[in-house]
Amino acid sequence: MAELYVKPGNKERGWNDPPQFSYGLQTQAGGPRRSLLTKRVAAPQDGSPRETSPGPPPMGPPPPSSKAPRSPPVGSGPASGVEPTSFPVESEAVMEDVLRPLEQALEDCRGHTRKQVCDDISRRLALLQEQWAGGKLSIPVKKRMALLVQELSSHRWDAADDIHRSLMVDHVTEVSQWMVGVKRLIAEKRSLFSEEAANEEKSAATAEKNHTIPGFQQAS
Amino acid sequence: MATYLEFIQQNEERDGVRFSWNVWPSSRLEATRMVVPLACLLTPLKERPDLPPVQYEPVLCSRPTCKAVLNPLCQVDYRAKLWACNFCFQRNQFPPAYGGISEVNQPAELMPQFSTIEYVIQEDDLQALKESLQMSLSLLPPDALVGLITFGRMVQVHELSCEGISKSYVFRGTKDLTAKQIQDMLGLTKPAMPMQQARPAQPQEHPFASSRFLQPVHKIDMNLTDLLGELQRDPWPVTQGKRPLRSTGVALSIAVGLLEGTFPNTGARIMLFTGGPPTQGPGMVVGDELKIPIRSWHDIEKDNARFMKKATKHYEMLANRTAANGHCIDIYACALDQTGLLEMKCCANLTGGYMVMGDSFNTSLFKQTFQRIFTKDFNGDFRMAFGATLDVKTSRELKIAGAIGPCVSLNVKGPCVSENELGVGGTSQWKICGLDPTSTLGIYFEVVNQHNTPIPQGGRGAIQFVTHYQHSSTQRRIRVTTIARNWADVQSQLRHIEAAFDQEAAAVLMARLGVFRAESEEGPDVLRWLDRQLIRLCQKFGQYNKEDPTSFRLSDSFSLYPQFMFHLRRSPFLQVFNNSPDESSYYRHHFARQDLTQSLIMIQPILYSYSFHGPPEPVLLDSSSILADRILLMDTFFQIVIYLGETIAQWRKAGYQDMPEYENFKHLLQAPLDDAQEILQARFPMPRYINTEHGGSQARFLLSKVNPSQTHNNLYAWGQETGAPILTDDVSLQVFMDHLKKLAVSSAC
Repeated sequence: MAELYVKPGNKERGWNDPPQFSYGLQTQAGGPRRSLLTKRVAAPQDGSPRETSPGPPPMGPPPPSSKAPRSPPVGSGPASGVEPTSFPVESEAVMEDVLRPLEQALEDCRGHTRKQVCDDISRRLALLQEQWAGGKLSIPVKKRMALLVQELSSHRWDAADDIHRSLMVDHVTEVSQWMVGVKRLIAEKRSLFSEEAANEEKSAATAEKNHTIPGFQQAS
Repeated sequence: MATYLEFIQQNEERDGVRFSWNVWPSSRLEATRMVVPLACLLTPLKERPDLPPVQYEPVLCSRPTCKAVLNPLCQVDYRAKLWACNFCFQRNQFPPAYGGISEVNQPAELMPQFSTIEYVIQEDDLQALKESLQMSLSLLPPDALVGLITFGRMVQVHELSCEGISKSYVFRGTKDLTAKQIQDMLGLTKPAMPMQQARPAQPQEHPFASSRFLQPVHKIDMNLTDLLGELQRDPWPVTQGKRPLRSTGVALSIAVGLLEGTFPNTGARIMLFTGGPPTQGPGMVVGDELKIPIRSWHDIEKDNARFMKKATKHYEMLANRTAANGHCIDIYACALDQTGLLEMKCCANLTGGYMVMGDSFNTSLFKQTFQRIFTKDFNGDFRMAFGATLDVKTSRELKIAGAIGPCVSLNVKGPCVSENELGVGGTSQWKICGLDPTSTLGIYFEVVNQHNTPIPQGGRGAIQFVTHYQHSSTQRRIRVTTIARNWADVQSQLRHIEAAFDQEAAAVLMARLGVFRAESEEGPDVLRWLDRQLIRLCQKFGQYNKEDPTSFRLSDSFSLYPQFMFHLRRSPFLQVFNNSPDESSYYRHHFARQDLTQSLIMIQPILYSYSFHGPPEPVLLDSSSILADRILLMDTFFQIVIYLGETIAQWRKAGYQDMPEYENFKHLLQAPLDDAQEILQARFPMPRYINTEHGGSQARFLLSKVNPSQTHNNLYAWGQETGAPILTDDVSLQVFMDHLKKLAVSSAC
């Protein structure tokens, strides 16, 4: 879900700037690792003269691969690269599909959340719309926003939160102005949902206590 | 140009200027007789879509009454790097950045077609920092409390309200204040409610004024994001030849005082982000005149660093107060020149805070290092922990001599405490206000058993380490480790003791002692001490015939130790003159807290060789390992260097890696890149990354590690005057070893 990529560092500001890893790669780093490079070689004890290489080797080609040169690689054609870019080609995310659920979520929260906060979120959603419509957002950002909205609609709050974080880390310049509104929206929707769930449980419990048929007591 | 009409039009298009007269009457009298005055229409911001702004600041004439900007009408002497102002005829020196200009390599502002040119004052560094801070709000837990202080000539403490109007309290950057004064001025002196240790302070439980300055992330994130977005460079203008005024000392003092008055003894970090040295007020490290450079090691040696002692004292006081309050201070310093890490280092070192040093906030080195502070472990908890106290107990045959690491003493005396101090001694308890799973202390012991007191058969000594700390989930935890080791009589069981020697741990522990000494002793004295210890160790544990160096042997458990010492002597921790004082402080900061594996990498960098002859293998850190048909990967902890041997580089240039029948060459090229990536992905702080080849200018990073540098020979030409046995500060590991053996087997020592 999260993108895994490495891009070069900022060569203008530092010629030895290390490469930049995407959020997905960085959070994955805690996984099992190959054996680290930590071994050393002791210096020869008897002081024997070091072997010097016998002069530069003749500049022939490198030793060829042991594979038969003509055998086609196993599997499908050109995509033998290492990068995981072999996703099926998707149609670009549609703005309405992202903004409508966000605005709906905001509406849902209006009763539960302070007016000022709602206004703040609304302002930022408007900014998001403006930037999207103005072509200022890159494709990965749009794609991940579509995924975020899906997770939000399916009530998978942690997943949505993680996507927001990955966008803040990988694309902060594009998203910083409005993303904090989306982040707050996820938090408000989550707390609203758990409140509603708690209320439903309470009313179900009272219904049982009163020995009425549960179905009739459900608030719509 | 055929007619003046063309000339006029071209000039208007380029310069946005139209003159009434395009040839000027040469005397005053004649000009008045022209009726129409000599005048022009100027459109200063005329649109020039073909004129991108240049990303540097204009060069000005140095005459204070002139200050004209370098332009195509100026006479230039490219050899002497001088230019003559065409307005006042002053001869001016070009700034150092123009060192490379020539007739064929002119800066834009000298070319005639750039009679109009636009300069941009660099802001992208501040923008990058702002974005990193906004991003960090997404990485912090929602109930963490955050506050913001900004500083330049003045210091501003921002009030974080949710009401939409941002307010701040402004302090002068020149005057230091006591904690009480700060708390009074910020209105924090209502009676404090007793703190509950078990839970983080919820703002609603503490309804006093601190909540104006410290608010939970989940409430304040939108406002703070906007506030950060609006931050600008200090509006006070900086004249040419001056540094910006930076009141770091007062800003830090206010931050410490604010937290002291509001949340003592709760886990907290003060994060200091700075783009240059403190130039004003207490804690200033250099004045604001650019022509007076910031102190170098030479200046310090010659006692020519006028602000150093006072500034260091200021930050030491702050660091001690902060540690006493249980808080830690991080320093993130990004600038091309030094920022005063030498004076401020105690803030990070005594409190367990981090020190990050970079060239610019707009680099991946800073951005990713900063992100990694918020890394979570496999349980989804932050790796950082707070407020630790370490209590060490020993069985009666042992005493505690001291500890070296990111800690302060708690001054707890007792029967376990030795009179002889090594490191931070005189105590059996230390405080580590900020720590993470790699934080490592060196703890030194003294054996106090009398020489002829018999040890019971099978007797063991024991040590217990008790660490109380606050986990990032705010839970308080106690980790207890109890260890025991056998006693042995040295006379009869030397081989036993030898076999149980951990040369890696020993090297790091001795190195920490050496670097600790280097903070207060002269460099040559430290090297002499280190050499003396090495010779004595070899005399004790080597196998040899007296006066016969060729017979000298060390058992396997000691075989790497002399090499470690050889490289330690040449390391940036003990050889300071190749680095700035800030760089030395930065390297020493990381050395004093890393675990064994990382510390060893810093002492003796890892070198692996990749070739067609077999799997990647470790090789000697020596010039003999540089071969034409090998790729080398060197890890110094602070840098990862990939170096292609001459033949490999030629094959790459010829493009063999793109040919399917040479796919193994492609794999060979990729293998060190993959291994480097593994290291880069996890290390804190992020190392620099150098990918070079035989003959490349950056190959010097590898060459300087495998071959001794020239400079340290001259500067440390301490000689035989003292008569003490001294190892030669000589060219190679081989010669070093030969000399060591000679001294070890000699009966004169």
